[in-house]
Amino acid sequence: MTVRSARYLLAAAALLAAPAAGQQPAAAVIAIPPITTPDSDSGGAGSAAAVAWQASQLIAADLRTTAELVPIGPNQKDYYSYPEVTAPTFSRWRAQGAKYLLTGFVRSRADGRLTVGCYVYDVVKGGRDIDRIGFVVAPGDWRRAAHKCSGLAYSVATGSPGIFDTRIAYVAESGSLNERVKRVAVMDGDGNNQTFVTAGDTVVLTPRLSPKADQLVYVSFVGGQPHVRLADLGSKQQRPLVPGAGMSFAPRFSPDGGRIAFTMQTGANADIYVANATGGSIQRLTTAPGVDTGPAFSPDGRRIVFESDRSGTQQLYVMNSDGTAQRRISFGGGWYASPEWSPDGEWIAYTRRIPGVGLRIGVMRADGSDEKLLSTGPADESPSWAPSSREILFHRAGPDGRPALYRISIDGGEPRRVATPLDGSDPDWSAVLD
Amino acid sequence: MRRFVILATAAIFAASASAQLPGLRRRPPVPPAPVLVGIDALRADFVAQAGSDKVYFGGDAAVLTAPAQATLGAQAVWLRRHPGVVVRIEGHGDQSDTREHALAVGARRAEEVRSHLVLLGVPAEQLTTMSWGKERPAVLGTSPEALALNRRAVTVLVR
Repeated sequence: MTVRSARYLLAAAALLAAPAAGQQPAAAVIAIPPITTPDSDSGGAGSAAAVAWQASQLIAADLRTTAELVPIGPNQKDYYSYPEVTAPTFSRWRAQGAKYLLTGFVRSRADGRLTVGCYVYDVVKGGRDIDRIGFVVAPGDWRRAAHKCSGLAYSVATGSPGIFDTRIAYVAESGSLNERVKRVAVMDGDGNNQTFVTAGDTVVLTPRLSPKADQLVYVSFVGGQPHVRLADLGSKQQRPLVPGAGMSFAPRFSPDGGRIAFTMQTGANADIYVANATGGSIQRLTTAPGVDTGPAFSPDGRRIVFESDRSGTQQLYVMNSDGTAQRRISFGGGWYASPEWSPDGEWIAYTRRIPGVGLRIGVMRADGSDEKLLSTGPADESPSWAPSSREILFHRAGPDGRPALYRISIDGGEPRRVATPLDGSDPDWSAVLD
Repeated sequence: MRRFVILATAAIFAASASAQLPGLRRRPPVPPAPVLVGIDALRADFVAQAGSDKVYFGGDAAVLTAPAQATLGAQAVWLRRHPGVVVRIEGHGDQSDTREHALAVGARRAEEVRSHLVLLGVPAEQLTTMSWGKERPAVLGTSPEALALNRRAVTVLVR
């Protein structure tokens, strides 16, 4: 996929940060009339016109999953001509209450590929586009181009990166609840393109994607001892992260993808280590007796949040990524576990275990302040941030014990189910792909 | 020096464990085990002689209770009579715990059982450990009774 022109994250942040810092702005309406094509040959499957119509529907579907935008369209009667892509009629959308408008085109090239362009306008102000994005893609990659257009609209409206051209890794579960068959699965952020990374012949847990979503670390019980393995999604090659070591678990990539933090178990003691993703040097970061686990890097890679029971109950701690300056940040009752630092650095999501209540997802500021529980439980765990830092993906076990994936806004509200072909647990949401 | 103290302690423990078990002290050394063929026969004999291949733990704890120590005492006697047998001690957490912490807790429980069996005189070479975390519940559900039955360590004969 070639980026042709992309004025990413322009002044939109400055323009739009103003309406309601700290309080939730009402959802804005965005008009999505059908994307057009200058091609004369229109209609056949795989033609520019057909792709344009499918892309329009996918963009609307993407934006419908957000809390911040309400799409209207696509509607065949709103079709516009190619010149109108950059000179839209604002009045008709103003009349429908739209704040934003997305236009675009798909044009076939002599080499068989497609040019896709998208433009986002402020309907109220009118004038030229706020931002635009364009690609040349193979016909089979039109979905990614459409997701990029959705992301453009989302970032214009919210100032946060779009969450659509992403991947989700999770554990696909099937079979009896006593002895689940578990497979690492990877799918697009919208649930398409699912593939299995492991075969289901051994228990696997907690997959985590590398920042480029081209590698994966996870825990496998193959050989009898749970241990961290590193898989290359392109070549399908995989290997133990630390050859010959005993039990290891809880792997997480550093933001640059070069290091992996994880836990190694020695007897009754669990401590946090960092290894190079390429193999080689291993550094021990914690030495407290008891269980130190769940390490997760800050987005700048300089700090690590983790859980430790050194105080008697499992609580959250932050340290420098070389293991120095360890300090406790959670002080509530019950236990805190599986912390995850938000991509914007502001928040830490966690699973809180409250006796008599169960497991719930919560967030706190990175300094431990402003703690709030988001989900109601009683069996919610494994939070993972959306790249927008505005939503959290997690899994919830139902009354029958079967887990499913859900996403919830950090502003609260009901979690929404994320459809997966099989039961799903241990989700990990990637960054926006390049 | 430290090693000596530990060994001495182990010897005392082993002696006191033997003292609780009628028959053992009168016939030292440990008599040869009846010849059992196959791992399944060995497993059946182990459970029959030791009373149980499992011990249970309190919530979030890896502390051995008195009943657990009694079970391990009987397991130790059997294992000392079968020096050729290797076991894998499998520790488990319960469903109320989080996934990764449950792995660590299961490992802690398995290690607690392992070191107790060593104290009772079982050669360390006979003992390996692993943790299932909360991946293999014995009982489904989240009732306190179900959770209690899942917080366990199982001594599994492997050969």
